[in-house]
Amino acid sequence: MMFPSHLAGTLIPAMAFLSCLRPESWEPCMEVVPNITYQCMDLNLYKIPDNLPSSTKNLDLSFNHLRHLGSHSFSNFPELQVLDLSRCEIQVIEDDAYQSLNHLSTLILTGNPIQSLALGAFSGLPSLQKLVAVETNLISLENFPIGHLKSLKELNVAHNFIHSFKLPGYFSNLPKLEHLDLSKNNIQNIYHKDLHILHQNSSLNLSVDLSMNPIVFIQPGSFKGIRLHELTLRSSFDSMNIMKTCIQGLAGLEVHRLVLGEFRNERNMNDFDKSALEGLCNLVIEEFSLANLEESLKDAELFHCLTNVSAISLVSLGLYHLKGFHNKYGWRSLELVNCEFEQFPTLELFSLERFILTENKDGLTFAEVTLPSLEYLDLSKNGLSFKGCCSYDDFSTNRLTHLDLSFNGVIIMSSNFLGLEGLQHLDFRHSNLKQASDFSVFLSLKNLRYLDISYTHTRVVFHGIFAGLVSLEILKMAGNSFQDNVLPDVFKEMNNLTFLDLSACQLEQVTQEVFNSLSSLRLLNMSHNNLLTLDILPYKSLQSLHVLDCSFNRIVASKNQELQYFPSSLTFLNLTQNDFACVCEHQSFLQWVKDQRQLLVEAEQMLCASPLDMRGIPVLSFRNATCQMSKTIIGVSVVTLLVVSVVLVLVYKFYFHLMLLAGCKKHSRGESTYDAFVIYSSQDEDWVRNELVKNLEEGVPPFRLCLHYRDFIPGVAIASNIIQEGFHKSRKVIVVVSNHFLQSRWCIFEYEIAQTWQFLSSRAGIIFIVLQKVEKSLLRQQVELYCLLKRNTYLEWEDSVLGRHIFWRRLRKALLDGKPWSPEGTEGAE
Amino acid sequence: MEGFTAVLLIWTLIAPGSSGGSGREAWPTHLACREGGLEVLYQSCDPLQDFGLSMDQCSKQLKSNLNIRFGIILREDIKELFLDIALTAKGSSILNYSYPICEEDQPKFSFCGRRKGEQIYYAGPVNNLGVDIPKGEYQVLLELYTESRATVACANATIISF
Repeated sequence: MMFPSHLAGTLIPAMAFLSCLRPESWEPCMEVVPNITYQCMDLNLYKIPDNLPSSTKNLDLSFNHLRHLGSHSFSNFPELQVLDLSRCEIQVIEDDAYQSLNHLSTLILTGNPIQSLALGAFSGLPSLQKLVAVETNLISLENFPIGHLKSLKELNVAHNFIHSFKLPGYFSNLPKLEHLDLSKNNIQNIYHKDLHILHQNSSLNLSVDLSMNPIVFIQPGSFKGIRLHELTLRSSFDSMNIMKTCIQGLAGLEVHRLVLGEFRNERNMNDFDKSALEGLCNLVIEEFSLANLEESLKDAELFHCLTNVSAISLVSLGLYHLKGFHNKYGWRSLELVNCEFEQFPTLELFSLERFILTENKDGLTFAEVTLPSLEYLDLSKNGLSFKGCCSYDDFSTNRLTHLDLSFNGVIIMSSNFLGLEGLQHLDFRHSNLKQASDFSVFLSLKNLRYLDISYTHTRVVFHGIFAGLVSLEILKMAGNSFQDNVLPDVFKEMNNLTFLDLSACQLEQVTQEVFNSLSSLRLLNMSHNNLLTLDILPYKSLQSLHVLDCSFNRIVASKNQELQYFPSSLTFLNLTQNDFACVCEHQSFLQWVKDQRQLLVEAEQMLCASPLDMRGIPVLSFRNATCQMSKTIIGVSVVTLLVVSVVLVLVYKFYFHLMLLAGCKKHSRGESTYDAFVIYSSQDEDWVRNELVKNLEEGVPPFRLCLHYRDFIPGVAIASNIIQEGFHKSRKVIVVVSNHFLQSRWCIFEYEIAQTWQFLSSRAGIIFIVLQKVEKSLLRQQVELYCLLKRNTYLEWEDSVLGRHIFWRRLRKALLDGKPWSPEGTEGAE
Repeated sequence: MEGFTAVLLIWTLIAPGSSGGSGREAWPTHLACREGGLEVLYQSCDPLQDFGLSMDQCSKQLKSNLNIRFGIILREDIKELFLDIALTAKGSSILNYSYPICEEDQPKFSFCGRRKGEQIYYAGPVNNLGVDIPKGEYQVLLELYTESRATVACANATIISF
């Protein structure tokens, strides 16, 4: 970038202004692991904090304002292993700055504008393995004082101003150095003498990254006889011709892995053709990688210097002209990523063991390939359609152990892997599987350990879908569905299964015996289904279950009596995001949740969904007291109701007695209109008229009797008449006992009222007249009357004249008792 | 235009990061481009830092190889990097898009795999559909994040087409 100089004038005041805005603060560092790891990033620190424990092993001081590292700056932290000083505005590092850090293995100095680096800056540091000095204004490796760091494995000096690839002599003191990152520097020319140290020292197994250097010249023979582990040259050449000559300059190099190509945002060449790689014939390469060239590559001639390479990786290349690869290459591994094939490449490579074709354009149709040595096949992310999967015929190999067909189009399952019995890993996720539930698709896969059919639009109808999978350890089938949304018994024989993912399968119910054979299962994911209760019985047989995830269901509660059957091995149970009903009905479940808080994942995130007033409130805050309170309320109201109804029943039953009671208070004594109220059966009316009325009303003194046929007021209910006319207005009651009397309900009613009346008025007011010999059996039915007659004196109507005379005398005497002396009576008597 | 871009980028790259204090004001709104009937404004929604962005030759007829310049100092390692785009207009969502920018094997871009503290400056084309933007005001939420879901950059952009 070119910056106009006058801008500096505006920038400096702006900077000053900004720094005024940010006062120094001493916020404490974040403790990530107590006494071990501390994060002090971006805390406006101007010096190294001294309040951290000396046992600190990992210290992140990045984005502060340390500016100057004096000697023994870190003497407080003798245990340090990782020290991050990125963007600390460090300009000066003095001698012995890191002295005494005997355990430091990683030192990061990224983004510091170092101007003065003392020769002894890195002294000490006997254990340093990784030194990152990216963007540190480094001009050459020669003056970088790291020659004594014997344990150094990785040196990253990318994005500096290094001009020369000259590896300094001190590299011979770094026997463990493996990685040297020189990317994004200013290296233009590589000469034979630069690699002098590598010529001398063949024991180094170095990986060098020279990407994004403007390389124009590599002296032929510079790399002759040198062995590197990896050489990366991405976006290092400005044109095809430079690349071609530079690759020729690499002649004689023996490299395990060579990476060429460009980056999408750092493209320089636009005239790439097959001749660019001609120079590779003079190299010994184990693995070759080519990435991100804009030009389309027309033919496989490009690879004629790469026939003996073991592994080829081609990424983001326009290979759409290429029809396929035929058997002249000795490749064992071929990786084709995002290479824009227009049709599925024809493949006939007898030695190929590993083939990867991913991220191609959508819409390819699989064509049969001839890869007899193939063990590993990855065809994921191609939108591929597969007309009949899968059997030996498709790949012509019976060595296949890994097959990945995930993220593809329609895959029709037409054969059950005949000839592919060695498969151990099978992945179909996010492809559209057809006919997977029509027959036992996996029947012959006795060695399969991993199966992923997540989100494959599979609707499980056939219960034998997983038959044959006796070695299966991991089964992922999220995002599918089951007939009637009930999980049927489909996991028979899977004794080795440890991981089962059934999330997002729209499950509403689980059959009881479904997990019975899964004795090794450790993780079960039932989340994102539609389960309404936590039904525990199905999980009872899972002796090894560690993790059960039932989150994102609609679980309201669980049946109390089942909670005890939870597998004892369970250590994580996730019940968050369910529809818990925080009501007293589920009190024991809610209590169980509280008791099992250690078991439950994010127990405090379990929220009530109902009732409305509890919505969004944590289940843990449900109080049992609420339930006890309502129990008391219920108890009290039940008792009240009972009492009220008893009272009502009593009132109903003793209504007339109460009427009587009310009347008794109203009518005071002495106001009686009648001397006696006669209770008799209408069958005995003749006797009453002819004998009783005649003798008592017409005799001396005359008595007034109350008789229903004469004195009851018409238009008033009989019961009211009996009480108001009969009892209230009479002093005495005459009961005429006969067989008819005992049979009449009205008479018995009147007699009962009379009893109450006598009790209420607390005087002996009932006179019994036994008219005829009463049948004992009838009398016994009226137990009270029977007892009364036994205990009380009663009058007996007799046929003899003498008997009658005595009868009337006794009756008169009884009626006279309490009769007020009235003048009328005296007059009448005279 | 160039000068403005340069100032913006330098300012955002050099300006020290925030102290992470809670009561800090929002980042200022920057102009990414104003040309040809189109105005693009953005504001960083990452509480930790602001960043610089500009678009070359923007116009209502969006070119399919739109060139942008983008500069930021990383506060996270970006072994893997993802971009989420959410486009809304008048409160209703029009487009949600997620795109992997950096993957672990054979990264597409040279900045992939960079670590905390390193500076990224991207000047180059971005893929887009190359459509005419109808008149109106659009909100775009852009978020760059890593495999551990740590935000690398976040922007609330407003696109006004007149």
